Amino acid sequence: MINGAEAMVKCLEAEGITKIFGYPGVAIAPFYDGLFDSNIEHILVRQEQAAGHAASGWARISRKPAVCVTTSGPGATNLITALATAYADSIPIIAITGQVDSELLGRDVFQEADITGAAESFTKYRYLVKNAEDLPRIFKEAFYIASSGRRGPVLIDVPIDIQKQEIEDFDYDRIQVDIRGYKPPKKDGNPQQVQKVVEAINQSKKPLICAGGGVILGNGEEQVRAFCEKTGIPLVHTMMGIGVLPKAHPLYFGMLGNNGKPYANRAVDQSDLLIIVGARVADRAIAKPKNLEKGTRTIVHIDIDTAEIGKNLGPTIPLVGDVGGIFQTLTKENITVDTSAWLDKLREIKTTTVDHRKFSDEFVNPITFVKELSARMDEDAVYVADVGQNQLWSADNYIMKSGRFLTTGGMGTMGYSIPAAIGAKMCRPDKQVVAVCGDGSFQMAMNELATARVNDVPLKIVIMRNHYLGLVREYQYNTYHSRYEGVQLYDTPHYDKIAAAYDMQYIYVDDNQKVESSIEEFLAMDDACLMVCEVASENNVK
Amino acid sequence: MKGIFSVLVENQSGVLSQISGLFARRGFNIDSLAVGETENHDVSSMTIVSTGDERTIDQIEKQLNKKIDVIKVRRLQERSCICLEMMLIKVSYTPSNRGSLLEICLINDARIVHMGAKDMIIEIHAAPDEIENFIELVRTFGIKEIQRTGTVALKKD
Repeated sequence: MINGAEAMVKCLEAEGITKIFGYPGVAIAPFYDGLFDSNIEHILVRQEQAAGHAASGWARISRKPAVCVTTSGPGATNLITALATAYADSIPIIAITGQVDSELLGRDVFQEADITGAAESFTKYRYLVKNAEDLPRIFKEAFYIASSGRRGPVLIDVPIDIQKQEIEDFDYDRIQVDIRGYKPPKKDGNPQQVQKVVEAINQSKKPLICAGGGVILGNGEEQVRAFCEKTGIPLVHTMMGIGVLPKAHPLYFGMLGNNGKPYANRAVDQSDLLIIVGARVADRAIAKPKNLEKGTRTIVHIDIDTAEIGKNLGPTIPLVGDVGGIFQTLTKENITVDTSAWLDKLREIKTTTVDHRKFSDEFVNPITFVKELSARMDEDAVYVADVGQNQLWSADNYIMKSGRFLTTGGMGTMGYSIPAAIGAKMCRPDKQVVAVCGDGSFQMAMNELATARVNDVPLKIVIMRNHYLGLVREYQYNTYHSRYEGVQLYDTPHYDKIAAAYDMQYIYVDDNQKVESSIEEFLAMDDACLMVCEVASENNVK
Repeated sequence: MKGIFSVLVENQSGVLSQISGLFARRGFNIDSLAVGETENHDVSSMTIVSTGDERTIDQIEKQLNKKIDVIKVRRLQERSCICLEMMLIKVSYTPSNRGSLLEICLINDARIVHMGAKDMIIEIHAAPDEIENFIELVRTFGIKEIQRTGTVALKKD
């Protein structure tokens, strides 16, 4: 006989989980007692939200569900932002929350929060466990739901008495998942729709692929790349789609959207066939989907989530399925389109579209910095961009090779980069991981430097410091005629002292001439390092 | 356009709030929503009537399908299904107009389930537009209270 808590731990072991991120409390105490005898390592974060982001970073690198755990009430509600972030970006996370005694549910007792109700719109699915015997089935289902179809977070809320309840038998392997309301789409897509896509491609003269984060989440980068290379069809991408093609690839034409390259948007405008894959067609990528629908352009929308197709943009040809499977099939088809004239045109657009943006060379030019940093990073490095101007400078100028670019494109959650980088680095200690944030986003998560320090994670963090909440400042500059309100960060904290407080190395750079040497020193270091890069506050993204 | 959805869901707590929450969150209309158990105790059936343009009605179907606690979604066409609603309506009467009210009930297949001194409660089962029509017919008598169940619908074949 084992109790519910021990069963929960055994479920995680059976799923191959080796580390979990969390923060304990009374309502989850039996589970922590179960962990005591397990090989699963618990990483104590400094606030629950970070447990969710760290699990997200881990999940994105391992491409498998990662686990975070908190207690009931405020522990659980602190996790909501991380769940919402993971949900918007379709990241598979299993969130375990403790809950008050099931007999007391609904009576507003100490640290009771209706977390399954509160997280309803921020999770793919939620369980409130009412019988410990159900735990193994629920865990198996949760891992299946999180990691199949369109990925996403699943919450399991376990009352304390259920954790203590003894269960008769535990045989995880024997459980067959069969959820009658959940059947993820077939892998390869409907053959007739695939044929329509092939015909549309062969009839087009100016086809263009727009790749979103779904390509990466569906492990389809290789297949999309192979398809592009075989057919000569060029590619643009959304912010979440950074990494589908390396920047130096001849078929790569940049990130679209209002924070992207103007030439990528012109490529979209001029295309006669737009193949959108794994993208939500959200406002930051395509501001006016109605404009795309006008005219004679054929739009193919490929997604694993049927509901994304037609939500913001009415496609001519919808195709539901797994990106890898679909592109593998498409690559085998007889595609005869000749894109050479179109590629010439795109190259012309790329060279003739003038970028009018100017960046200050006072202190460090942020654009130069991101280029110099990413150029020197390892081929397969992981770059974690936070939110704000730093993120947009990063996304716009990052030199993608074969690594990963992690950011929260959907929810735009400040403070993501540090915990996510901790998760990514713990998942793959062999990889170079760099978090880049602003002085605003850094201060939202700097408590997590302790998590990194205590667990010997040699974190490399860059702060693009401009003493402002730069992106809001920029918005107030453009929209409210420079009536700056609530955006100044002043000169605190003293980052050298922060670095010292957490036993980190410290590098300060405020001169363009010293950027290269500073970056080299930063990347060469084995220790955790905080690098503050001073940028002029009047720098804007646009 | 009108969308009639027949939705089979897991009969467990929180599912109704998930569905109504989905409509509220995404700005979809609910004209009516009727829920009840089916022949399986662990399955409930909902009939949801909504209005919106074609794309919205399409999105409603897809978003409902995406819910894991939703077992099956069927979109019904009015012409190929039986749509019925029940209404209880309390109407005032006087000795002088009682006869004509009874006549309206008789013609419309409505039944008087309670007769008070000054008002009566009438029960009617009919298609939603017939219910609307009945309300208009008795309006001049003075309507005191109305309770409607919302539409329930079944596909004919």
